[in-house]
Amino acid sequence: MSNKATAGSQSSLREANRTLVLHTVQRWGGLTQVELAAATGLSTATVSNIVREMYAAGLVDTAVTTRSGRRAQLVTLARRLGLAVGVHLGSRHLRIVLGDFGHSVIAEQSLPLPRDHRMDASLDRVALLVADMLERVGASVTDVVGVGIGVPAPVDAATGMISVGGVMRGWDDTHLGQTLAKRVGCPVAVDNEANLGALAESTLGASRNHRDSAFVLASHAIGAGLVIDGKPHRGYAGLAGEIGHVQVDPQGLICSCGNRGCLDTIVGADALLEAVRPIRGALSLRDVVLLAKEGDQGCSRLVADAGAQIGAVVANLCMVMNPEVVVVGGELAESGDVFLGPMRTAITRRMVVNRIAPLEVVPAALGTRAEVMGALLLALQAAEVPAMGDVDNEESAS
Amino acid sequence: MNERGGAPLLSMRQISKRFGAVEALSGVDFEVRAHEVVALVGDNGAGKSTLARMVSGVLQPDAGIIEIEGQQVSISSPSVAHEMRIATVFQDLALADNLDVTANLFLGHELRENGMLQDGRMEQITRDVLAKLASRIPSVRTPLSALSAGQRQSVAIARTLIGDPRLVVLDEPTAALSAVQTAEVLTHIERLRDLGLGVILISHNMTDVRAVSDRIEVLRHGRNNGSFDASRTSFEEILAAITGATHVEPGLRSVG
Repeated sequence: MSNKATAGSQSSLREANRTLVLHTVQRWGGLTQVELAAATGLSTATVSNIVREMYAAGLVDTAVTTRSGRRAQLVTLARRLGLAVGVHLGSRHLRIVLGDFGHSVIAEQSLPLPRDHRMDASLDRVALLVADMLERVGASVTDVVGVGIGVPAPVDAATGMISVGGVMRGWDDTHLGQTLAKRVGCPVAVDNEANLGALAESTLGASRNHRDSAFVLASHAIGAGLVIDGKPHRGYAGLAGEIGHVQVDPQGLICSCGNRGCLDTIVGADALLEAVRPIRGALSLRDVVLLAKEGDQGCSRLVADAGAQIGAVVANLCMVMNPEVVVVGGELAESGDVFLGPMRTAITRRMVVNRIAPLEVVPAALGTRAEVMGALLLALQAAEVPAMGDVDNEESAS
Repeated sequence: MNERGGAPLLSMRQISKRFGAVEALSGVDFEVRAHEVVALVGDNGAGKSTLARMVSGVLQPDAGIIEIEGQQVSISSPSVAHEMRIATVFQDLALADNLDVTANLFLGHELRENGMLQDGRMEQITRDVLAKLASRIPSVRTPLSALSAGQRQSVAIARTLIGDPRLVVLDEPTAALSAVQTAEVLTHIERLRDLGLGVILISHNMTDVRAVSDRIEVLRHGRNNGSFDASRTSFEEILAAITGATHVEPGLRSVG
């Protein structure tokens, strides 16, 4: 103990301990009191007192569980009116978050996926992971009000089906929402990943103070989500903002969508990785982004040119919808100004300068988590808020 | 990254091994570069584990050459492998249940100063290693018996990072794990690759293998039966090579 102890230190120490316990619970999702003591370095008595205080204040929930055959007190963050699940089923990654109506994330998990992952295997993984994560925070499927899932393909909001064939191999004829709902046992809402990124950024992120914004997802494929007058604009068949399938080279390669020379065939991950293969061998998109950030010449050039190429298409989009801000997310945006700089230049050079407010191009505040947070928001929006009585029942049952 | 040119981290050429009447490996070639995850797949008894055990010093080849960064070596025992900075996670993990996480990480390589154990430093390093792997183990003082299967697997993988390895061998790391635990282990493998290590991954799960590896080497009846670039190969091509529906002639092997 330091010799600087003053009269106020007792309560500030207690406050610091409370914060430490809260952060630790947040980090691990659910911990028993004994594990909490070990993880924080506080005594079990202190932990027990703090947990009791925080329970009374409605910050945490407790439940009886077992560890190594012994009774233990499981501590989780308090949930307001049930849980929702956000799922981002990307091209090469699966991300899942559990969150509540206060938009706070209670548990989070990611998993690398193979290229062209199969529909049945991936949805099964989602269902298993969700069940496992719920168990970890001491909840069950009955606590879940809904699941939101984002996929890298345009989705028809009315049916929850992919509205363009061939974009996700082997996924075309599946009713995504229904198939997953059957496996997880609660309602599922489906949307395009870029639309979800737009939803998250305009609700919680960089464009939350703007009525009109565009979110550009620069990842394995390129997409955009539009927010017009504060509402996501999906288009009649969910095709709005599919800038990855805007033609930029009439003589280019044939795209997965069946057209020719789409933006994706030029700056999609396959095209970018093919371009570095002769000198660097097989790299992943993440390798390219990391190398560009470190200043590797070839990879920086590749990422910068991709930024300019995407910017040219985004400029046209901006002329059509006139947003106040363009928010850029996805893995490529993680390389920072190497990518954003040329993209910003390409957009502003093609835009008509207006005297009211210049167009801003900013990175996503939520980073690569924007899509999964959007999926969580979608689930919360789609869910009907349960009556207060449900919460009481849940507590008396535990 | 796996740059062209330069000697590979590990190169095994024309490796053969016989157990009595059984020819376990016959003329197998295998290569791993730094910053590369190479999956070793094949049916039961195809020779995957035999090959991996040679890398970790448990078995010695009857014939063939092993090179590490261009130098011909003989990995005569697991401790020699450790000196060569090769770490292995065996299928049965080989952890001590009665010891805590820190003690397991440093088992046999405890840090000492003037004969005294340096518990504080070992705990600090353990925390650092677990953080590097984004591992979900709340306390480094928990005895292993209190951990879940997935957490034990993280400890086993974390242990490989003690002693600054350059090559890590993982034998069936996701077998018998739950969905969340599998996700954690696959994330660990990505981290190992990001740290610049070479990783040999043995697994039966084609989804996991294709998710994290750069290259997939197929063994069939103790022989090479194809080398595939994971980012360009479909499930079907790999399964065809494993089951023998396609046969790759020696010498015609495509080099990824």
